[in-house]
Amino acid sequence: MTTLEKMIREIKELTPMPAVANRLLEMIEEPDSSINDIARIIQYDPVMTVDILKICNSAYLGLKIPAESIKDAVNMLGTDQIVQLAMVKSSAKVLSGHQQGYGLEQGDMWRYSVSSAVIAKQVALRLGLNNKSTIFTAALIKDIGKIILEKYVFKDYKKIDTLVKKSGYSFREAEKKVLGIDHAELGALIGKIWKFSPRMIKLIQHHHLRDDSMMNDKEVAGVYLADCICMMMGNGVGADGLSYRFKDQLMKIHNISHSDITAIMAEFGVNMNEVKILLKMAQ
Amino acid sequence: MKQIVGVADMKVSNNPAEDVITYSLGSCIGLVIYDPVVRVGGILHYMLPESAIDKEKAVQKPFMFADTGIPRLFKTAYAMGAMKPRIKIFVAGGAEILDQNGFFNIGKRNYLALKKMFFKNKVMIDKQEVGGNINRTVRIEIASGDIFLKTSGSKEVKI
Repeated sequence: MTTLEKMIREIKELTPMPAVANRLLEMIEEPDSSINDIARIIQYDPVMTVDILKICNSAYLGLKIPAESIKDAVNMLGTDQIVQLAMVKSSAKVLSGHQQGYGLEQGDMWRYSVSSAVIAKQVALRLGLNNKSTIFTAALIKDIGKIILEKYVFKDYKKIDTLVKKSGYSFREAEKKVLGIDHAELGALIGKIWKFSPRMIKLIQHHHLRDDSMMNDKEVAGVYLADCICMMMGNGVGADGLSYRFKDQLMKIHNISHSDITAIMAEFGVNMNEVKILLKMAQ
Repeated sequence: MKQIVGVADMKVSNNPAEDVITYSLGSCIGLVIYDPVVRVGGILHYMLPESAIDKEKAVQKPFMFADTGIPRLFKTAYAMGAMKPRIKIFVAGGAEILDQNGFFNIGKRNYLALKKMFFKNKVMIDKQEVGGNINRTVRIEIASGDIFLKTSGSKEVKI
């Protein structure tokens, strides 16, 4: 069995994200989807319904009248917020473990993922992207490949680390060189097996901008930028550290200035409580 | 007991039973100060160099910026008996993403903001672990003033 075949077998052994997450992912990409459509999908999952109503009626969201149904919740808080809560809840189990190969303790990657997603909302606003939930979700699950690749990274960590420290490779490039696949590609493979939409698979696959031609894609740029900013903030970063490439050119293409980056960071600095609440809520 | 310094946060202590620690410094700076005579020490974890980008946020979160956070760290330590000539200083963080040049290099700009302020106020750094592409966690023991540094995936080392 080749290494790739082994990885595919491991992906198939993973407990996938709940079906409701997949249906929501499809739905948020449909421009015509209505509040009723979103509510109907969530209602199919009674556990998710109860969890979301609990969060919606918590002090954090401060609803004046309690939401008694998902439809109420969507009406009061908007589609984006409900979808984002559902996606955080759905991906918690998959992403909250420890990833020894990346030097990540229990919950580190999960904290990083939620922080990235919260930052991505600001980036989406700056880039004028309409579908904030897609960018939020992609930023949340982009590192999913690490949950499989970490064992392989652990075994060959010295080789990867040497390429990064001595030969100028980025961590992703070193993964590819040593293991034949990097965590972004493997994440995209998980997305294919779990039947994510082609758009979500693309966003996962290119979140480190492995292919410069993807720079023009505004959504790819949004997820990439949210990841860079989160990496700089350091919250939940592992042994791969900041060893990924920063593309100045992308900033020019999308007309993003240094002030835009610092403004997004400052905004995150005052909104960090949102990360804490989302983490607590997903427990 | 551990006093945890969050992002855009500061803690100063004179309790010898305490450690002050800040996790996961990426491009942020962890500024550690300690006066060995009165055993007062603290850490500031700031994110950005200048508060001029958003005065309102600087009022809300003064520890987010170098220029509003650093003076507060020193003043808090002075109020607890620390004196400028005795203060030992350690600086950690200021990391950068690969190829992150010029204006976009927040890590370097964070470090330069501190150097500029220290130069103006004749303050010397005793030790530092800055730059590179790694994430750092820094801890100080208030009883001894010993400082420890940890990078993700490695063991903690005494500075």
